[in-house]
Amino acid sequence: MSDGTFEKFKFTGNAKEWFGIWIVNILLSIVTIGIYSAWAKVRTKKYFANHTYVADRNFDYHATGKQILIGRLIVIGGYILFNIVLIALPILGLFLVLGLIAVMPWLIVRSIAFNARMTSFSNVRFNFLGTAGKAFLVFFIYPILTALTAYTTAPFLSRAVQRFTINNYRLGTASFNFDSAIGPFYKAFLAAIAWFVVAGGLGMIVTGFNFLEFASAMENAENNPEAIGPIIGMFYLLLFVAVLPAAMIYYAMIRNTIFNAATLEGGHRFNSTVTAGKMLWLAISNLVVVVCTLGLMLPWAQVRMSKYLAENTDLIPGGSLDDFIGTQQKETSALGDAFTDLEGIDVGMPI
Amino acid sequence: MNVDNNKKCPAILGRAYPALQSNRVTATLLSRLPLHSETADPDDLILDLLDEHNAVIACAPLSEVTIDAPLGSMPRRMTFPDGTLFETDDHEGVHALTGETRGSIIHGLEQFGPRLIVIVLATIAAVWVLWRFGLDILVAAAIAITPPILVEQIDRGTLQTIDYAMADDTELEDPEKAKVQKIFERLLSYIDEDDIGTSDFKLLFRSMPDVGPNAFALPNGTIVMTDQFVDEFNDEDVLAGVLGHEMGHVIEKHGLRQTYRSLSIYVLVAFLVGDTGPIIEELLLEGNLILSLSYSRDHEVSADQFGLRLAQDAGYDPAGLKKFFEWVTENAIEPPQWLSTHPSSTERVKEIDTFIESLN
Repeated sequence: MSDGTFEKFKFTGNAKEWFGIWIVNILLSIVTIGIYSAWAKVRTKKYFANHTYVADRNFDYHATGKQILIGRLIVIGGYILFNIVLIALPILGLFLVLGLIAVMPWLIVRSIAFNARMTSFSNVRFNFLGTAGKAFLVFFIYPILTALTAYTTAPFLSRAVQRFTINNYRLGTASFNFDSAIGPFYKAFLAAIAWFVVAGGLGMIVTGFNFLEFASAMENAENNPEAIGPIIGMFYLLLFVAVLPAAMIYYAMIRNTIFNAATLEGGHRFNSTVTAGKMLWLAISNLVVVVCTLGLMLPWAQVRMSKYLAENTDLIPGGSLDDFIGTQQKETSALGDAFTDLEGIDVGMPI
Repeated sequence: MNVDNNKKCPAILGRAYPALQSNRVTATLLSRLPLHSETADPDDLILDLLDEHNAVIACAPLSEVTIDAPLGSMPRRMTFPDGTLFETDDHEGVHALTGETRGSIIHGLEQFGPRLIVIVLATIAAVWVLWRFGLDILVAAAIAITPPILVEQIDRGTLQTIDYAMADDTELEDPEKAKVQKIFERLLSYIDEDDIGTSDFKLLFRSMPDVGPNAFALPNGTIVMTDQFVDEFNDEDVLAGVLGHEMGHVIEKHGLRQTYRSLSIYVLVAFLVGDTGPIIEELLLEGNLILSLSYSRDHEVSADQFGLRLAQDAGYDPAGLKKFFEWVTENAIEPPQWLSTHPSSTERVKEIDTFIESLN
């Protein structure tokens, strides 16, 4: 592990083995009316963390099913209480909603911190030190400002989110660092938009798709339904030709930018080489296989995607990986994690 | 733990880390019978963890070492009381040492083999039961805890969108409006108070030339009728049939049911299956939409029946609703069944006939 060598990430999970774990997760979750899903989550996270290796060392996930279950029960209880109060005392509604908006940044930060602290690499836990105040700015105020500029400043928002997440991340005591000029973010943003406009435009010319026609056909569904069938077909065609490739272009360019600019204290650097074309091919072929097997090949698709992402990620160690030191950690509750799970908010590192 | 004390376990090769450090060393785990001074329990094994120079890094009775449950082929991990971590790929060695541990049963179920076929079949059956019965229970529970203020808000918001996107102010004369309003109120007086509950029924008129003759209901009881409808159908029985149908949607909470159903499916998939990756997630939402369309066909039939019964109770001819669908059949072309939110009009005329017969 001398300086400057590339250590490839490797994903060693295999589809057969993961299928067994996955299907038992689903069965037991249904049979226990959802209670087992907390343990299922742990097994899933543990499986993917443990099979991700770099420089012969792997990750691990340490949360327990009990922790996750308690977090979920509190959030569900809170949600029911919230609704009951709204039914009984509608006057309080506004205050409750304002209250929720006020605690949301705190819950998001708790969630990122929980996930960081429950994940380890080579026996050292990650940590997250971001504050709720900063999260409020990044997740609530900046999006409003971005909307006010008609989303022309979206790349700034994207960069702010990455800076907030990565710069507050730690591996033990070692801090991650990320900064980048705004150029690469605009490049990805414009490339995606350019694809969307050009491919979408060509698609519309070739298929004769007309958005106004689409909208009016949808409105008139009941009285003039014949127009709908072909128009919905064209809509899907455009989705696959214009929207999804644009999304992949953006994802691939941003991921590469982030990894190439991020560093970890101790002189460690990263490298990412994913391409939009390969991502799109994986996504579409996975989709076809999963749909044709009624979902049963999903574990295979997940393993395939994880392998590709790992193979296109490198660590460039600046020194020995033996020198990370962990910190004693307080018990963290899974409350925030359960909240972001239920709300479908993605808080992971973009690995 | 079922440990056969007299059986000597072979050495287990692996890697060790001191507490809270990434500093990794090659290590060997040995087990032996305890000395008298070491533990009160003579049946407990003592584990010695040695580094490559055979120096002891950690030592503890087996009963005090935390052993992670097995999961697939990932390395097994043991944590000594002082925090030292031992990690090994020697699954058989660990099994010989500890016997069955916590998590062994589930680990056994998860093995890929012929037995897994039974589990797959059981899972498919469980998913079917969940789809068929579980969803309805979830939806009913969600409706029960939905605050009325939220439903009110849905009506207000949807109406604003409609007004903004596709509707103009009504151009109907007051007597025309009053006539429809009278039918509306007459129908309303024949609905049971308990059924009305917190719904707030009101009738609104809008000019929607693009939409044509139509009426629709919002969840909290706002019913919108287009000018074009009133212009086309002067017949009280038709008006009563269609208004009754829309009231059926409100009373039976079809709008909320559909929304919650789509949401529940999405949430269930997220919880059960986990991260589906790009595109599949999109498709899931869309596919969901198509399925919820077929679900709404049942709602349409059910609302037809509600409307027919209500119209008859209030003294109108239930055949009025049939006239409307006959008009639709003459004036429009039907979509394929699977794509339709509404059953085909000819089918509905037939069903209405059968239902009217059953009423008499």
